[in-house]
Amino acid sequence: MSRTMSTSPQVTRTELSARTTARLGGYALWQIRDYLMDRGAPTVLVGALFGYMVSGPMMGAMNMRLERLSPTALAQMGGYETVRASMVTELTSTALELLLGNLVFLGALFAMNGIVANDRKLGYYRFLFSKPLAPERYYGQAFVLHWAGFLGTITMLGLVYQALVGPVLTTRLYAAVALLYLCYAGIAFALSAAARWDWLSLVAVTVASNYAWGRFGETRSALAGLLYLFPPIHRTGEVYSAVSKGTTLPWSLLAWFAAYGAASFVIGLVVLRVRRLAIV
Amino acid sequence: MIVFDQVGKRYRSWQGREVRALEDFSLEIAPGEVFGLAGPNGAGKSTLISLLLGFLGPSTGMLQIDGLAPRRYVERHGVSYLSELVNIPPTWRVTSALRRYAILAGLPSHEVHARVESMLETLGLEEHRSKRVRQLSKGNLQRLGLAQALLGEERVIVLDEPTHGLDPVWTQRFRDVLDQLRRPDRVILIASHNLDELARLADRVAIIDRGRLQRVVDVRANERTVTEGAPYRIVVASCDTRVGDVFPGAREVASGEFEVRALSLEDINAGLVRLMQSGALVRAVYPVHSPLEQQFREAVGVQVSAGREESR
Repeated sequence: MSRTMSTSPQVTRTELSARTTARLGGYALWQIRDYLMDRGAPTVLVGALFGYMVSGPMMGAMNMRLERLSPTALAQMGGYETVRASMVTELTSTALELLLGNLVFLGALFAMNGIVANDRKLGYYRFLFSKPLAPERYYGQAFVLHWAGFLGTITMLGLVYQALVGPVLTTRLYAAVALLYLCYAGIAFALSAAARWDWLSLVAVTVASNYAWGRFGETRSALAGLLYLFPPIHRTGEVYSAVSKGTTLPWSLLAWFAAYGAASFVIGLVVLRVRRLAIV
Repeated sequence: MIVFDQVGKRYRSWQGREVRALEDFSLEIAPGEVFGLAGPNGAGKSTLISLLLGFLGPSTGMLQIDGLAPRRYVERHGVSYLSELVNIPPTWRVTSALRRYAILAGLPSHEVHARVESMLETLGLEEHRSKRVRQLSKGNLQRLGLAQALLGEERVIVLDEPTHGLDPVWTQRFRDVLDQLRRPDRVILIASHNLDELARLADRVAIIDRGRLQRVVDVRANERTVTEGAPYRIVVASCDTRVGDVFPGAREVASGEFEVRALSLEDINAGLVRLMQSGALVRAVYPVHSPLEQQFREAVGVQVSAGREESR
């Protein structure tokens, strides 16, 4: 084999322009698998544990109340099934109000923790992005799949709850969970693209937002407008309350959450496009 | 194909101090070349490679691959890259890691299996196929890194310390693999501390020190030159006392083994004739440093003092 340059034939432009592209669609299965193994499983475990801790004692109390009701009282109240269904509705409402906020926040935290930052810190980006692949496409797809994965874990937890206690999965619940998750996850994604300590940053943003809105939310100063730079996390309770009580969802508020999350996600993509991956 | 035009890279340390990792670096690498990068630790080799892959952007100057900015080139065509540290998630299994990288390298789905199997065989990873990455030895991990780099048919191959951690058998096998990778339209860039390795594999070697290109050595042409004053080692089987008479200043470094500083190739030959005429049996004569190593030592200013080598 020749070891000199002079014998190398000139490569034509046609050959040079041949383009290879990563098969990101094919890689989606691996990304969803990674979510389920590394992030979805802990979310399910934590969700199940929280669910058990919250609903377990309430279930015990409910069963005790049912046992204490005399057959006459039960008959007056519409029968055992009717009474139980009413109690389950009450229990589910309380459980949702207590659980949903934590579950969505932790779910987003687990799903987004280190999504970009870990690959940069641990050097995994080197092999990934020496392939014909743009970081924003790779992580953008991961974000969407993790979102779908999270809704999958919520479905799984909901089905378990449904089997043990009573019906809980509704379109309203999915809509609220999906949009609130988008808010938290979008922020976490942007932070992961921009900073190394993304999970800590998400906690800091959440605490700072709650504090800022609580402290300055009522002021009429012109500077109060700056509060809108913070996510409206102080109002998540309104959404969870509407879901648990079965009242109309505050759609304008949900749109605010979704817009904030989507904007943060786009900022994260821009950061990935513009920023160099190596940490120096 | 690859053009560095007065490329510079500066960092600012967390204390605010400016670090110049690369300065005024200009170089062109043509298709068909196997090009070596040599330099002491911290010389700027890794920075150069990060710039080439678009993982870093230059502070000054311009860098292009096929007329495109590096990141753009990589995203369009991909680069076969083996980093000095093989960073693959430790929980991935060998086969699945290769499958993943094959998909990302753009291999059609019907080719993935055959290509992965071929790489496992070529790099002797078949018996480790179901192991997790964290269970691999250093040498096997290095081979896995090499396997993922060679899954595609990229026209730019960048190998950073490719034989690091490989045993002699696999070092030789790597040379064979590399020979098969040579193609007229392909550039292979190898960064290594191992100058003998570079001398064997590369057509040209750039010597970098303190962020600057010190010189580019044409390895084949360099092999034919003898550097004036370069030390030689002479090993004699008998009459070793005669060596000092024939070569004044010869230093005995081991029993029957002498280091002499020659003035020229003619002087060495004349001395050897006299030595053999005096009855000495010469077992071996070889330069202490390979021609490339000699160039390296000159370029980075390695000094020899009291038997101890010190880099500046």
